[in-house]
Amino acid sequence: MIVAAFSDFMQQVVSGLASGGIYALLALALVIIHRSTGVINFAQGEMATFSAYIAWTLTVNHGLSYWPAFVACLAISFGGGVGIHRVVIRPVERGSVLRIVIVTIGLLVGINGFVIWEWGGEPQQLRSPFGTETYDVGGVIVAAHDIGTIAVALGIVLLLWLLFRFTKVGLALRAVAVNPDEARLVGVRVTWMLALGWGLAATLGAVAGMLTAPTVGLDPQMMQAVLIYAFAAAVLGGIDSPIGAVVGGLLLGVLLNMLSYLSQYGAFDWFTEELRLPAALLIILVVLLVKPTGIFGRPEVKRV
Amino acid sequence: MRRRFAPIAALATALCAIPVALAGSGADPGVSSTTILIGGTSPLTGPAASYATVARGAQAYFDFINAKGGAAKRKIEYRVVDDAYNPAQTVQAVRRLVEQDNVFAVFNTLGTEANLAIRDYLNQVKVPQLFVASGATTWGRDAAKYPWTIGFQPSYAAEGLVYGQYIAKTQKKAKVGVLFQNDDYGKDLLASLKSGLSRSGSKVVAAEPYQVTSPDVGSQIGKLKASGANVLAIFATPTFAIQAYVFANRLGWRPLIINNAVSATSNTMTLASEGGKNKSIEGTISTTPLKDPLNPRWKKDPGMKQYRAILAKYAKGANPNDANHLYGMAVAYETVGLLKGLGANPTRAGLMARARSIASAKNPFLLPGVSVKTGKGDNFPLQQGQLQRWMKGRWVPFGGLWTSKRN
Repeated sequence: MIVAAFSDFMQQVVSGLASGGIYALLALALVIIHRSTGVINFAQGEMATFSAYIAWTLTVNHGLSYWPAFVACLAISFGGGVGIHRVVIRPVERGSVLRIVIVTIGLLVGINGFVIWEWGGEPQQLRSPFGTETYDVGGVIVAAHDIGTIAVALGIVLLLWLLFRFTKVGLALRAVAVNPDEARLVGVRVTWMLALGWGLAATLGAVAGMLTAPTVGLDPQMMQAVLIYAFAAAVLGGIDSPIGAVVGGLLLGVLLNMLSYLSQYGAFDWFTEELRLPAALLIILVVLLVKPTGIFGRPEVKRV
Repeated sequence: MRRRFAPIAALATALCAIPVALAGSGADPGVSSTTILIGGTSPLTGPAASYATVARGAQAYFDFINAKGGAAKRKIEYRVVDDAYNPAQTVQAVRRLVEQDNVFAVFNTLGTEANLAIRDYLNQVKVPQLFVASGATTWGRDAAKYPWTIGFQPSYAAEGLVYGQYIAKTQKKAKVGVLFQNDDYGKDLLASLKSGLSRSGSKVVAAEPYQVTSPDVGSQIGKLKASGANVLAIFATPTFAIQAYVFANRLGWRPLIINNAVSATSNTMTLASEGGKNKSIEGTISTTPLKDPLNPRWKKDPGMKQYRAILAKYAKGANPNDANHLYGMAVAYETVGLLKGLGANPTRAGLMARARSIASAKNPFLLPGVSVKTGKGDNFPLQQGQLQRWMKGRWVPFGGLWTSKRN
């Protein structure tokens, strides 16, 4: 009985990690755009959905096999991200942050509308690159897709760390986000660095979209709820920290599942399904009030 | 989807600009000498956007009828407005349809909560709420209180009861886990499933609700599996039903699965099968009053040939395997029947009177033997269906037609 209860408990942990992996991937895209351009991108979820549709249409309507479609989708998404920056963001970049935020909200609506106009609102199925296999680990079932999702998230963290830590481009990206004017004075091509930041975020979003769609089903709204959880994950982990985004995502997934698991046994019995989304918003609020830098973020230091 | 409705909406707007004076003397708003304007909401976007094809199927059928001269010597204009499956938007859209566009009737509006949100209003202004696309029991049960509202599809109460009785009859001491949408639709099905199971050895051991705003139902499926259930009843709309299959498969869980009719089109099942890799789908039980587009038995059936031809001509690019189109055509067929009987001066009251006394046994899109009937004390147009089992990529019907008591 206790053994069964323990494996039930672990199953909910694993299922929380699986949801958390999805939040983590989108949170990574949010972090990367914030870190390299200083923008909070509300359209990140829709950009990911758009990319997932690109992958879907390449495989289903244009007959590409999965991996060529995957690579093509990343390339198209990168180009799309750069394009969005050049066409939509750049004209308002010099103004207040608020203007950019409003433009990204406009993008959210616009991209969603385009996806529905082009591909319709009905759900579609995008297959997982990791297949549908499952493994039984001591009574706890783990899906290959979920392991793959988390592994990809961690792999991305490593790549980003290498990029920001060891390359000139990474350094330039960081410099531009912190102080664009001084970066320009020392010869960094600021506009192109910002465009690169958008391209990178769009590419990470594409990975998030392609790995989310096999789980929740590909439809135009698939990222809208995920985006809120991804924001919570990014804030929890520290909005500038890639590893924070992943830890924050996984933690959030497990935490929410635990609340609903324990509610079955009387603890937190007020926690019903209706409260899942508000709980994520509450986490954003609490973190911003108590520790605005999140778990891994560093406080902003300004030289006076 | 938008592409298709936009020009029609524009045309309808233009037609509405023509003063009502054109209408025949005794006719009600929405009726001119050449057209009858009806309207309704549909989730063209949002969490239930798979149902957009219901409106599309109905639209295609009206286009087909209009090409043949229309009904009662008038063309039927069907204006579809997106409500994103959000009742607040439904209310706004329906008020606009009634007050600005002057529709003759509100038709085929989809969703239990959406229709509940507009029922008081439509009954107050005495505009027909015709053939509600929801199976909530209240549409038929409360007809005396809401004379301007009538449903269409078999009620969720009848459907849940059928599943309960099926489990009671075929399974010994089944433990049933239920995933249900946290609203009147899901709760209706859950309650009637329980009453179908009563006095049998089987019972519901766990019931997990989900919100339409949640990203996924993974946690719920995990809990249902942990409850020890060996039967899973999915009372969810297509996106979430597909997820339920995906998560059940990822947990290596192989219960007997019951899937509600609103998510059981061949198209949805094929999506849930993840390209044939998801085995949890095999053996799923559901029910439908419609002919299945994938069943070879209907290949030469005149009704289904007509269905495919109409869809190919008036809804280009539509997937005929999506039986929601078929549902839309079936409900449009009955509507055309009603309008034809209204004579030279159609009135809203006349429409409702006819909707309360339907005797239609030959709807070409419904299974043979399924009739659409209403009459004194019977306000449920469709109360029959066929149990079916998903095997090797398509539905296989079994047992005869079931008919619910016209309650």
